[in-house]
Amino acid sequence: MAKTILVIDDSASLRQVVKMALTGAGYSVLEAGDGQAALALLDGRQINMAICDVNMPIMNGIEFVKAAKQLAAYKFLPILMLTTESQEEKKEQGKAAGAKDWMVKPFSPTQLVSAVSKLCA
Amino acid sequence: MHNGIASASSDGQVSSAPQALLGLCAGLLPVWGRHLATSRAQSELAVTEMLQAFSDIGPHINMAERQSQQINDALAQPIGGVTGLVGACEQVLAPVLADANVSTTTAAAIEHVLEMVRHAVGVLEQVARPFQHETQMVAAQVDRMYMGFQYQDRISQMMALLEGDMVKLQEALSAGEAPDLAAWLVQLEAQYAMREQHEDHSGLAENVCASDGDNETTFF
Repeated sequence: MAKTILVIDDSASLRQVVKMALTGAGYSVLEAGDGQAALALLDGRQINMAICDVNMPIMNGIEFVKAAKQLAAYKFLPILMLTTESQEEKKEQGKAAGAKDWMVKPFSPTQLVSAVSKLCA
Repeated sequence: MHNGIASASSDGQVSSAPQALLGLCAGLLPVWGRHLATSRAQSELAVTEMLQAFSDIGPHINMAERQSQQINDALAQPIGGVTGLVGACEQVLAPVLADANVSTTTAAAIEHVLEMVRHAVGVLEQVARPFQHETQMVAAQVDRMYMGFQYQDRISQMMALLEGDMVKLQEALSAGEAPDLAAWLVQLEAQYAMREQHEDHSGLAENVCASDGDNETTFF
């Protein structure tokens, strides 16, 4: 059965690019436009990993990671931050919140699929 | 801002020039803002259209890439096998060829057979080479397309920030405020996400150029 990845980004085109890269590699993808919508989507679902933007309206990526880690079912959910932010300070925030990986956009699909397969293993 | 303009003037239009400039800015800013918003919307639409097209042909490209890889793998196996077989034959036949008792005709026949097999391996390798090249080329170009699509997100973020800042300036003008430039710049910079935004802000970048992508990954 295909592993399910939750992709959270306020840019619909970015979500589509990520989705195409992942479905091409055999993953199943769920999408959310912000952290709050992503939390609502979790709802006990079997999710193998989340890929999350940082700067988003309503609930940003760092807030989402913190909130997801509070949920018992998703405490160990691997989360990859996929963002245009490359500042160390922001990376540290992501790490402190519980993210496992920080990837700067624009990403290479090969690189993304490789990171996903590593984190989903 | 207001005081700076007034003190720079020295003729009888001291009082009217700042007002005229304020009026000019108040009139222009919304127009610029609308142009920016339209440009942003059009760049988003352009990418959406391209993505729609790519989502239709993408699976076919992926399939072609996979098939190319499969052909590549399928060819690699017999080539490896035959090459190994040739090597083994050469090893077995080497003492025979070195044997002084073996006739020249027999040795020549063995050499001839070995040469034919070597030639066949060479032909097989030549057949496989374009597939290897095609597989690598398709994968690299698909990666480039995916990366190209992502620049719109950067453009959109940069434009949205400018739009917001223009609205803020427009509001300050309408309220008759003269905000502090240094504080304004600090607030603006605090909203940057991308490296090139910081470089543009400080004017450190030697040339105006698109980011070639940070393309960095950090595992925690």
